[in-house]
Amino acid sequence: MVTNEPNLKEIERRAYTSYHQDGLLDIFASMYILGFGLGIFMDIILDFGFGVIIMPSGLVAVALPLWIAAKRKITIPRIGFVKFRTGGTTKLTAIFIGLMVLGLGTFSVFTLATVQGESRMWLDLIFQNGMLIVGFGSLAVCLLFGYSMGLKRLYAYGVLSVIALAIGHFMGIFFAYILIALGITVMVVGVALLISFVKKYPLQGERAIAD
Amino acid sequence: MKEQLPINDANIQDVDRLIHEPSRLIIMAQLYVVQSADFLFLQNQTQMTPGNLSAHLSKLEDAGYVEVTKEFIERKPHTALALTKKGRAAFKEYRRKVRQFIEKLPE
Repeated sequence: MVTNEPNLKEIERRAYTSYHQDGLLDIFASMYILGFGLGIFMDIILDFGFGVIIMPSGLVAVALPLWIAAKRKITIPRIGFVKFRTGGTTKLTAIFIGLMVLGLGTFSVFTLATVQGESRMWLDLIFQNGMLIVGFGSLAVCLLFGYSMGLKRLYAYGVLSVIALAIGHFMGIFFAYILIALGITVMVVGVALLISFVKKYPLQGERAIAD
Repeated sequence: MKEQLPINDANIQDVDRLIHEPSRLIIMAQLYVVQSADFLFLQNQTQMTPGNLSAHLSKLEDAGYVEVTKEFIERKPHTALALTKKGRAAFKEYRRKVRQFIEKLPE
């Protein structure tokens, strides 16, 4: 008699990660990073003004419907459709909301302190070490999402971000260039994953021909 | 004379044999960790042939462990498979018995 109990955590993790092996998440994230990079570039080099707000928002507005459509057209016909239990999603949403609240709280505190004119030194410190702060912030976000989604490559993205931004900080490289380079790197990984996913999971008709 | 089984062996003989079959155990475990999934997703996760998977699903459906819901998503027919309450309870009970049996074995 077989008495080995199935490892449900592992099965759940595999089911979840199989859904994110298509590279679409990476492509979507890379567009967001590129949006920020290009936004800063437009603001500082081209003196545009609102690029840092318009570019990421515009890209997300375009990329989000594209991502959903791509999931429907590329992922679901190849690996099927699954509805996950709400537990994991709730945990992820809680982390996301927590981070948003933390970010907004920090922003509000510094804005208030600036208005009162007491935090000039703090603000200077933040601006002087902006890249390091963004780097370690990115690392924390990647670690949190990587852990809650079971996607180990997000850890690598986090480490890559902190290294790239630290190099940028110490070598005095323009922030936007680092973001654009990171965005392109994540985009390349995403496209490579997408190609590998499409090859690994051909459509049913194509699979029958291959078999 | 009927052989007397030790208590652990007697417990393990009681496990639900419908679930205990390895292919069906994998299907039950896959459906246990999600809310619902379609045939293609299960086939990819279990690596079974369509015929094999279909046969095992029919047995689980007949036992009332799996429910099959046919619906239309964007005008395309879609079949969702999910564990019923009875199926979830049966799987939990199966886990409990197997775990109990394994835990009592000596190292």
